[in-house]
Amino acid sequence: MAREKTYTEEVFPSPFIQLWIIFRRTPVAMLGFGCFIFLVFLAIFSPLLAPYSPVEGNLEMILLPPAWHDNGNVSYLLGTDELGRDMLSRLMYGTSLTFGLSFVVVLISLVVGVVIGSLSALTKGLKSSFLNHFLDVVLSIPSLLLAIIIVAILGPGIANTVWAIVIVLIPQFIHITRYAVKEEFRKDYVLASRLDGASPFRVLYYSVFPNIVERIMSQATLAQSAAILDIATLGFLGLGAQIPLPEWGAILANGVERFYIAPWTVYLPGLAILFAVVATNLVGEGIRHALKVRREN
Amino acid sequence: MLTMLSFSLSFLFPGDNIINLSGQLNASSSELTQLNHYYQHDNNIIEQYLAYLRHVLQGDLGLSMASQSPISHEIIKLLPATMELSLVALLIAMAIGIPLGFIAAIKHNKTTDNVILAVSMLGYSIPVFWLGLLAILFFSIGLGWLPSAGRISLLFEIEFVTGFQFIDILLSDSPYKWQALNNALAHIILPACVIAVAPTTIFVRLSRAAMIEVLATSYIRAAKSKGLSFSQIIFRHATRNALIKIIRHVGLQFANLITIAMVTEVIFSWPGIGRWLIESIYQRDYTAIQSGLLVLSCFIFIVHILTDFIYAALNPLARGNKYGS
Amino acid sequence: MVVLLMKTKSTPCFFFGLIITLLSGCSDSDKISLDERSIIYCSEGSPETFNPQLITSGTTIDATSHQLYDRLIAYHGEDNTISPALAKSWHMTRDGKKITFYLRKDVTFHQTDNFTPTRLLNADDVIFSFNRILETTHPYHYVSGGNYPFFQSVEFNSLVESIEKINDHTVRFNLRRSDSSFLANLATDFAVILSAEYGQQLSKLNKPHEIDTLPIGTGPFKLKEYRVGSLIRYYRHEGYWQGKAQIEQLVYDITPSKTSRLTKLLARECDVSSYPIAHQKIRDRKDLQLESMTALNIGYFGFNTKKPPFDNKLVRQAVSLAINRQALIDTVYSSEATLAKSILPESSWAFNEAIPSPEYDLAKAKALLDLAGYPDGFDMDIWAMPVQRSYNPNAVTMAKLIQADLKKLNVNVNITSYEWATFLRRLAMSEHQTFLLGWSADHPDPDNFFTPILSCSATNTGNNRTFWCNAAYDELIQKALQTTNVTKRKAYYKEAMLIVNEEMPLLPIAHSRRYQARGANIIGEILPHFGGINFYSVNKNIPLKTINGKVKATKSLPVEQSN
Repeated sequence: MAREKTYTEEVFPSPFIQLWIIFRRTPVAMLGFGCFIFLVFLAIFSPLLAPYSPVEGNLEMILLPPAWHDNGNVSYLLGTDELGRDMLSRLMYGTSLTFGLSFVVVLISLVVGVVIGSLSALTKGLKSSFLNHFLDVVLSIPSLLLAIIIVAILGPGIANTVWAIVIVLIPQFIHITRYAVKEEFRKDYVLASRLDGASPFRVLYYSVFPNIVERIMSQATLAQSAAILDIATLGFLGLGAQIPLPEWGAILANGVERFYIAPWTVYLPGLAILFAVVATNLVGEGIRHALKVRREN
Repeated sequence: MLTMLSFSLSFLFPGDNIINLSGQLNASSSELTQLNHYYQHDNNIIEQYLAYLRHVLQGDLGLSMASQSPISHEIIKLLPATMELSLVALLIAMAIGIPLGFIAAIKHNKTTDNVILAVSMLGYSIPVFWLGLLAILFFSIGLGWLPSAGRISLLFEIEFVTGFQFIDILLSDSPYKWQALNNALAHIILPACVIAVAPTTIFVRLSRAAMIEVLATSYIRAAKSKGLSFSQIIFRHATRNALIKIIRHVGLQFANLITIAMVTEVIFSWPGIGRWLIESIYQRDYTAIQSGLLVLSCFIFIVHILTDFIYAALNPLARGNKYGS
Repeated sequence: MVVLLMKTKSTPCFFFGLIITLLSGCSDSDKISLDERSIIYCSEGSPETFNPQLITSGTTIDATSHQLYDRLIAYHGEDNTISPALAKSWHMTRDGKKITFYLRKDVTFHQTDNFTPTRLLNADDVIFSFNRILETTHPYHYVSGGNYPFFQSVEFNSLVESIEKINDHTVRFNLRRSDSSFLANLATDFAVILSAEYGQQLSKLNKPHEIDTLPIGTGPFKLKEYRVGSLIRYYRHEGYWQGKAQIEQLVYDITPSKTSRLTKLLARECDVSSYPIAHQKIRDRKDLQLESMTALNIGYFGFNTKKPPFDNKLVRQAVSLAINRQALIDTVYSSEATLAKSILPESSWAFNEAIPSPEYDLAKAKALLDLAGYPDGFDMDIWAMPVQRSYNPNAVTMAKLIQADLKKLNVNVNITSYEWATFLRRLAMSEHQTFLLGWSADHPDPDNFFTPILSCSATNTGNNRTFWCNAAYDELIQKALQTTNVTKRKAYYKEAMLIVNEEMPLLPIAHSRRYQARGANIIGEILPHFGGINFYSVNKNIPLKTINGKVKATKSLPVEQSN
């Protein structure tokens, strides 16, 4: 028996769904999103997909150019490096290191940053102003420089790089959350639910978060592209991922030595980094664009 | 604040903090006692810090663990090289980025705008070390136009006076002065352009946003309604106001630029403080890292303050409400 | 995408490039003349000091020994005979215990900003130079540390009883016993002659250490300027006794990164480059040439026998068995080296075919490791040298390959590298577990391999970084020195090599050639057969002419010279 509708219910999509609808309309952003999903997929499944081991080489196949070259070999599609390691496999594994780790890094710092940020938005007075000034100082230092400082303290290594970048990114998330939460709290609907007797945390969870999610996501894409570049740069400088790890920046640094004999060992990881950062930035641009459109409507 | 951070680093680094502070690796026990005395190591932490501060203010940053030479001497030689490079890069970035941003804003939502935006996104997505390598391959080796490493050909003997290459060359009495100048100019172009790429794109976005904002203001609309020509509006009214908004960000961008310069110095073998700092990290030369960071952050800080001053000097609105409202 | 990028960023460059070409148009002729009279050499590292007596590292030898100094006697190129240098002739008594040198009378010292010589070279300078090494009471003995690693390793001070001045230009060395390698040792890069007058002047000024940092010698070049990690500038010594050098200025552009060196070479920012990589690329370029020289050297993987687990012979043997050395040769040396059987190269007369080459046997390695009590493997460090030498062009890659090999024994390898000077200092302090290093002979006497690398006396100087000290081995190499009978010496060295292969303080890896790249317009011999490089006879040909963007050398030289 069909239930009678007493009231015609107007379906109001959540802000997030609205955003998605607008986002979907921009083809470039969707392309970026597709690439992004592809990278996430690679990052997770590269061990299953990669044709060869990223660390062990075939010493009979040293410095093989990519397959489209005259001397190339189809079984090594993107060629090999100086130890006969397959470039394609290394780049695929590298996805989980450079791209995957940057994703994890952003996730961790997002959670920590949002929690601290929203809590601090609820506090006032001395604590709050101290935090404010501290954030101002930290935010004025470029993230890469700060990461280099932290790695200098902790010592080189991929794990330390991850922690360094997490530490660097947290203040950004704190800042944006704090700002967004404070702004939302000034709005009438929050006031209404608070008058209803909702505790601040309830308000935060049910009313404020759904409305600021996309702003945090936009910040997350910015953070993600910075994190990719930072991990790769530290890897390139030899301060991040250590020797056998197929991290993109480290692969590139390794290839520099043979730049003039085997240029593909430099072109390919560079292109991979560029691809990942552009994909991330496209998604970010898409979100920001959609946000703007939604606000204008 | 910064010295406090740098002082605390000496405890965070592995090893004895007195050795980390002074860089004296092979100190005998009597020298160690003396060092302990100098840095007030037996007293509480605040006195230790004050002792350290005194040393820093006297220009004594300790010895480099790797070369056992005073760090302040090394930094005095290196810092001008970095400043020179980053200033040139900043100028290039502003000279290209700002006009492009203005053009994009004027052609808002047209093809030109989109192309400029797309290119600028590529610009800040590209890893700088990769770009540097490609630039060397293309311009130095492929075309042979520009040198790939260093500040000047080593054949020229330029006496160290200020550390700023161009000034030193002009001050020197070498018979090859003008060639040296050409040579130095040729050396700085490639690294400076590479460094400038990312900041350029940011200036494009900043100036585009500033211009769009300015163009939407009422005074521009008023000017339009008065019948001023388009170029009059842009050059007389819009540009100046947009520029003021951008200047505020120069300081922040400069910090970013210095970081990019650090990486670029490594690739172009530029004898600056960034390359030195990264090499110190490789060699675990803690004294050098600590002082290098201190100097670098002071430098960034000073530029910040300077741009704030310039901004305030140029923009009457920023001077606050002290004239009453 | 790449093309697009190039375009965006090239706009300013094109613009500036244009200005540069316009500016430089007017004053090109002067530049060519300065360029023509100077040579830039891209070297691989900073020298530790400017006195070769104090060190054994090849980088320092290259920068100092033949540029700044001369020796009493020298090697004469191809046939490995000793020829006169500062000593125009010499005489040895029949028992081999008294050797008299007759010095040249026309040798001038460098004149620099802080020293003007008032006299020519005489016997005092020779005595000053060698007594500095021999006598602990000599005012300069302890200046710069008092370590003379080469001389200590050949036990110079127990060998030489005294040095006598017969007259102003005659010096006699009195030996305690005859030593078949004595003359060879005096002709090495280390046995340089300093200025006694300069020493006295510095003592008066109370700045004795400057004798090693602001050097004065008799060589074809004098030091003008040294910036650590950046450059060394030499001017020619106008009064050089063999006639002044043809180039006026010699600059060492210190470029530790091998890629940067190649870049500078390809962009023609340096005229000569040490230890080039990408040999094929250089051969392909018409304006560059690659030369190589057989070198008596050994690249090896050493174990610190004073540190566990490598104090256990079985572990050393097991690790050695697990390393695929042929793969190292193929990859690291691009197959341009020979597999080493022992520390002595096959081209040495003392080499013995009967010495078995260390094998590659994983099963045996596992068994030995079990026996040694490490069935589950262990963690270890490999210290890979940061510079390229002919005996090891890429230690880090080699370390990576060894890392992969040892993984099969469940041995986890951690690769460490420091800047060269730091690396050597820390090695001498025995901070390492294992290390990749090598040795280039300074003269062809086989003792130059056995004593400096592995003798007990070399452990004290830190030159024997394995800290392995074996009485039987030491006795054998001593015996070999005390006879001139070639057959006997050969037999002693064979025994010694067998001990090394059994005890395995180090795993010999390769003997290789020394490579050097230079512009086609640079003429003259730079690479000698032994020891450090020499720029004395180098000159620049008529400058390159650029025709339609393609560089043409005006005179072509044989592309590769080799013996």
